[in-house]
Amino acid sequence: MDARLRRVNKEIADCKNDKTSNIKIDLIDESPFHLKGSFPGPEGTPYQGGHFEVDIVIPESYPFQPVKMKFITKVYHPNISSASGAICLDILKDAWSPVLTLKSTLISLQSLLCSPEPNDPQDAEVAKHYTTSKNSFEETAAYWTHIYAGGPGRSSSAPLKGDGQDEIAIAGLDPAHVSGFEALGFPKGKVIDVLRRLNYRGANAAKITEDRVVQELLK
Amino acid sequence: MSSDYEYSDDENYFDDGDDMDTQEDAETFDEDEDDVMGVDFKTDDKGKRKAYELDYSSFSQSDVEDLMKKDIEYICGIFGVDSGFAALLLRHMAWNKERLVEKYMDNPDKLLVAAGVAAPETPIVPPNRLKSPTASQAGNTRRPTRTGSKLLGFGSKSSGASKSPTISPTISPTSSFSVQPKSPTSSEPFTCPICCDDVPSLKPVALDCGHAYCSNCWTDYISAKVNEEGDLIVRCMGEGCALIAPDSFVHSMLIPDPTAPIGDAEKEEANGNTWKRFQELLVRHFVSSNRDLKYCPYPGCTNTVSCPSAASKLSLTSVVPTVSCGARGIGGQMTQSQQAQGNLGLAGKEHKFCFGCPIDSDHRPVVCGVAKMWLKKCRDDSETANWIKSNTKECSNCQSTIEKNGGCNHMTCKKCKHEFCWVCMGPWSEHGTAWYSCNRYDEKGGIDARDSQSKSRASLERYLHYYNRWANHEQSAKLSLDLYAKTEKKMEDMQITSALTWIEVQFMKKAVEEVDKCRMTLKWTYAMAYYLASGNQKDLFEDNQRDLEKAVEDLSELLEQQIEPEMIPTLRQKVTDKTVYVQKRNEIVLDDTATGFIEGRWKWNVSVDGFDDPENTD
Repeated sequence: MDARLRRVNKEIADCKNDKTSNIKIDLIDESPFHLKGSFPGPEGTPYQGGHFEVDIVIPESYPFQPVKMKFITKVYHPNISSASGAICLDILKDAWSPVLTLKSTLISLQSLLCSPEPNDPQDAEVAKHYTTSKNSFEETAAYWTHIYAGGPGRSSSAPLKGDGQDEIAIAGLDPAHVSGFEALGFPKGKVIDVLRRLNYRGANAAKITEDRVVQELLK
Repeated sequence: MSSDYEYSDDENYFDDGDDMDTQEDAETFDEDEDDVMGVDFKTDDKGKRKAYELDYSSFSQSDVEDLMKKDIEYICGIFGVDSGFAALLLRHMAWNKERLVEKYMDNPDKLLVAAGVAAPETPIVPPNRLKSPTASQAGNTRRPTRTGSKLLGFGSKSSGASKSPTISPTISPTSSFSVQPKSPTSSEPFTCPICCDDVPSLKPVALDCGHAYCSNCWTDYISAKVNEEGDLIVRCMGEGCALIAPDSFVHSMLIPDPTAPIGDAEKEEANGNTWKRFQELLVRHFVSSNRDLKYCPYPGCTNTVSCPSAASKLSLTSVVPTVSCGARGIGGQMTQSQQAQGNLGLAGKEHKFCFGCPIDSDHRPVVCGVAKMWLKKCRDDSETANWIKSNTKECSNCQSTIEKNGGCNHMTCKKCKHEFCWVCMGPWSEHGTAWYSCNRYDEKGGIDARDSQSKSRASLERYLHYYNRWANHEQSAKLSLDLYAKTEKKMEDMQITSALTWIEVQFMKKAVEEVDKCRMTLKWTYAMAYYLASGNQKDLFEDNQRDLEKAVEDLSELLEQQIEPEMIPTLRQKVTDKTVYVQKRNEIVLDDTATGFIEGRWKWNVSVDGFDDPENTD
């Protein structure tokens, strides 16, 4: 039997037998080389209670080349692209070693959620949010966990009703800021877009003049 | 003028002008063919080196391997270590022996760990099993990308130094790896943690760190590293393990003992190729670490050229280190198109390249810095400049470039608000009431405006002048492939239709080669002329350029002619004369420019790396 197939089969079986780690690996279609991994968000983080799914592609020369992984579930995290789910992690690139397994890699992803590295970001906007205001970042991350990963709502986050509130919370912005600029006659979507790009949050909001925001809005 | 150079009457006329073969004499390759046909062109060789030539030598891959071996033996002798270790240490220090010795004397343990020769920690971890949860491992290594795997585990080396037996290189000087008959912990049979195979015949193999995997996995791993990543650093497969497999280990994994063959011919061949590729990577690494050496950039060629006189950056302002690795044609596996080109004559082309810069052709007479500037300018500018020239005008006040994309002739410059007429470029105010129709060509304002515009336009025109000629010669040089094919056909025809023998019709081939060579020179003279500061020196240079160009075009024309059988003797005479003349002119250009560089005669109109600024010299 092909060594790659044997190894992947064994890895999937190992994962099934292991009840303690809470890591799951499932087939997406017939192929054993395109899988879906999933794990619960780590306790004590904004991702707690969420269920995160990862798309796994096993390359031809596995295990001598790293697996390709990206998040299917949308995650608000500095090292994970909020748009595509692409992951910035050394063991998925040059620090890969053939002894690493699908399970150990998924565990690594889980622990990446515990300790973000904003200095080496995949998603620069999220990383900026993280460095300027950690509290606000965590609220947003928890909100994303709630709406995308099925996590519980946070009591501290703004009360949720209607689509508009969602958009603001997804962007991690203060509803008061958004409605302030909306009152000047700019469409809401645009306001959210600009404020997010400028990282108009927490202490940073005081550093950005209103003129600057309006200038951006007029572009 | 060509009659002055009646070659057959007075061979000694070309006394000091040997043909290009002198340069080739410096090389080691076989020149039989040229020598035979050189009878026609023989000129006295006084053995004097031309100003535009320089000493270099060419090495084959095995020559370079010998050089590497010498360095390795030197280190072995000093440190008393195994040659595999010495090679890893040298590679780690980019083959800088002095620095290596210094560092080794300073702190041998630290160096050994950093070079991947010794493991930093004592405990030999039993091979990881898939069964054991790897959460702790994953926790240790989780780290965003690009921080590099080199950081892993290196911190502990000082504490581990005293207790680690593997750190001392003298412990295992003879064998840098060990084939362990049994994995350290097992009473149970060995299961490879990578392929999960547990056939009893499986042999665990490990480096000094003890991370054992089956030999098949090692082979696959090495193949993936070498073939897919082009990496010669094969680290242990263990997670975070920084130990590097020595060459002997790589060899033993790829080329097994003749006593125990794999038995799969296809696989054996693939592994053999991987080993070849690995050796090539080693040589390339050695060559790229050494300033005196450069790898031949031609596809499939594995030769190396050594040219110490062009190794420093400073020397590149006075010499153009055009070298040739000695090989010809395209080596390795030829693609179909390459083969087709080969049939057209490319197969016989020398591997000429510049030692000092990445341009993989002969860019004499112009020095690397200027050639690079010119190529960059051409890449950036040529098409844009052409478009600008045909579609835009400059504002007569502020010289901003303006494209008129509609509307009337009353233009208002967006930048300086100057109002002018698009047709005559004069200020709009002078047009009085004659809106929309410009009949005031002779107005003073209009003339002034056109004057200032033409000045700024002139620089563009000037560039295009040089560029078009440069591109033209490049194009012609490309077409010379066709010319080769045609010439070959002509030569065959001549052998049939006339009494001439094969050797005697070689004059055509020689002529085509000469034209090709001269076109290369001509091409680059235009790049040079563009940057030369105007003055007597430039005039002289352009005179030489003109003479060469005229001669080359004449010869080209001769070669394109239809051949009538009765004309052949005359044609042969003419072509031979002309070839020698062209050769002579080419030498004059090359020699004069090269001497000029050595004497520091050339001044540029822009600032060039390594030369004085134009302001200071004028």
